[in-house]
Amino acid sequence: MLEINNVTKIYGEGSARVVALDRVSLKVEDGDFIAIMGPSGSGKSTFLNIIGGLDRLTSGEVILDGHRIDNLGENDLVDIRRGKIAYVFQQYHLLPSLTAMENVLLPLIFCGDGGDEQKVETILSRVGLGKRAEHKPSQLSGGEQQRVAIARALVSGPSLILADEPTGNMDQKTGNEILELFKELNQEGRSILMVTHSADIARQAKQIITLQDGRIISKAVQQSVR
Amino acid sequence: MKLYQIVAKDVMRRKRRVLYAALGVVIGTMTVVGVLTMAFAGQAKIYKQLEQYGPNLTVIPAVNNLDMKLGNLSMGTLTVGDNYIPQSELPAIRQIADSNIREVMKIDDQGNIATLAPYLYENTKVNGVSVVVVGVDPEPEKLVKSWWNVGKGDYINGPDSVLVGSLAAELLKLNVGDTILFNNNELKIAGILDETGSSDDYQIFAPLASVQKAFDKDGMISSLDIRALCNSCPVETIADSINKNIPGVTAIAVKQIAKSEMGLVDKMSNLMLALGGITLAVGLFGVVNTMMSSVHERIKDIGIMRAVGASRNQIIKVFIYEALIIGVLGGIGGYFLGTALAFAIGPLVFEGTAISFVPQYLPLALGVSIVVAVAATIYPAIRASQIRVADSFRSV
Repeated sequence: MLEINNVTKIYGEGSARVVALDRVSLKVEDGDFIAIMGPSGSGKSTFLNIIGGLDRLTSGEVILDGHRIDNLGENDLVDIRRGKIAYVFQQYHLLPSLTAMENVLLPLIFCGDGGDEQKVETILSRVGLGKRAEHKPSQLSGGEQQRVAIARALVSGPSLILADEPTGNMDQKTGNEILELFKELNQEGRSILMVTHSADIARQAKQIITLQDGRIISKAVQQSVR
Repeated sequence: MKLYQIVAKDVMRRKRRVLYAALGVVIGTMTVVGVLTMAFAGQAKIYKQLEQYGPNLTVIPAVNNLDMKLGNLSMGTLTVGDNYIPQSELPAIRQIADSNIREVMKIDDQGNIATLAPYLYENTKVNGVSVVVVGVDPEPEKLVKSWWNVGKGDYINGPDSVLVGSLAAELLKLNVGDTILFNNNELKIAGILDETGSSDDYQIFAPLASVQKAFDKDGMISSLDIRALCNSCPVETIADSINKNIPGVTAIAVKQIAKSEMGLVDKMSNLMLALGGITLAVGLFGVVNTMMSSVHERIKDIGIMRAVGASRNQIIKVFIYEALIIGVLGGIGGYFLGTALAFAIGPLVFEGTAISFVPQYLPLALGVSIVVAVAATIYPAIRASQIRVADSFRSV
């Protein structure tokens, strides 16, 4: 479903020039669950951002379902964010003035379908927040906020979820709960690309790739995962 | 749930910031509304005076510098000289006025059209107090002084009945039924006028013929008011024509006096409106500034919205909705503060003017402040829409 060919990303110019990604290629099939590991500054987040069209690449191409998306204009990228690709961030990135319910409604509002609160309730119950719908982010724990963010990612029905260290701010127990949620989503057939620092978390993915200095230095397929 | 509801919630969270932005609009709108309210009151005052004291034309003896009676502008100072207009000129003046009006209004009727109210002013003493006696023609006088209201007794109803102005009655201790003497001619008080706020209050009105007889001024009048009773009557032409054809008199169209008076108000208003405009422009830059920092403050929020599917236009909309809220707040605030401003300094600018609420300026104030707020937000909103999601998260 997703093909990344020779993607290079260079920040800055002259002496400030930093090669964040150096000719990276990767294929993601339907139903894949790939953990991306690597030290800080290895280009993991840049990689995710480029796949999702949040950042522009310097050279190479990204193909989603047979169409190049790396060269799309802002308006077409909006369409991709409204149903094909969704994000989950380490910092949750919820809007502080809105309740959990409203934060999850947000993607629907932007699609022009802000009335479907039923759907949002169903999804919130699914991530275990049925009773916390009217709480604001400041009234929720980190794990709960991440559940809201996952619900928000799910509400537009994406086939690919990009998660940038979704468990990075959590203790191990909460992190595992969030990971279980991702596994469930994967079992439903959604592809997941997840950046993580934690080897424990990565081990539960179907595939692990490791980045270093902007290059993929290893790919490992794990057969043992349930 | 709609986008504007999301914006409203966000605004509620950032009340102080939004009020601060609205302040820039409030100050500009306040100035404009204040100026307009004052100018409105000033104009209303002049119109009222015109309506009350303004016959369309006044004819006075050519060499006499009799003051115009335009309300407060010359109140109480009536110089009565030795120069008079012969009453025999009245038919000629009437002829000029009527024929001009006939021509313009295309009237064939040969009857009288304009109302001619002659006056003869005489100084005399009643009960030992100096007072001005005005000889009037009762019937036309009634038409010209449409605002007169006889509070006690009746209107002039015979050759020896008089009407007394309210303050004159008070000062001279006169009552309905009393008799007064003008050079040994006995006249009876038929009625007392309600207060008018004009020089009429200090005067005594008697039939013209009686005054002429009592003061030995047979066939003479001091001045003549002509009321054409139509808006499009050619009063300037009539005035010119009278000045050309009748020797020894000066005819003045009251409009001319009104014009210079209005011109002054207009000039003041324009000057202050220009000031208001500048204040608005300064307010606009204030809003641009606040909005820019609001964009900066919310880079992360904008990135989040973009990441979950907001288009550039939707980001612009978010800021425009916010501008509308600021505009409405600024308009309402500006209207009330502007009116308060007019109440505070209006009486100083246009002496003795009664300021009042002008409700039709509320939509105007809203319009002005919304336009300013939205205009000030366009650039910041476009900048906001160009924020890249990845950059927005990096900057946090």
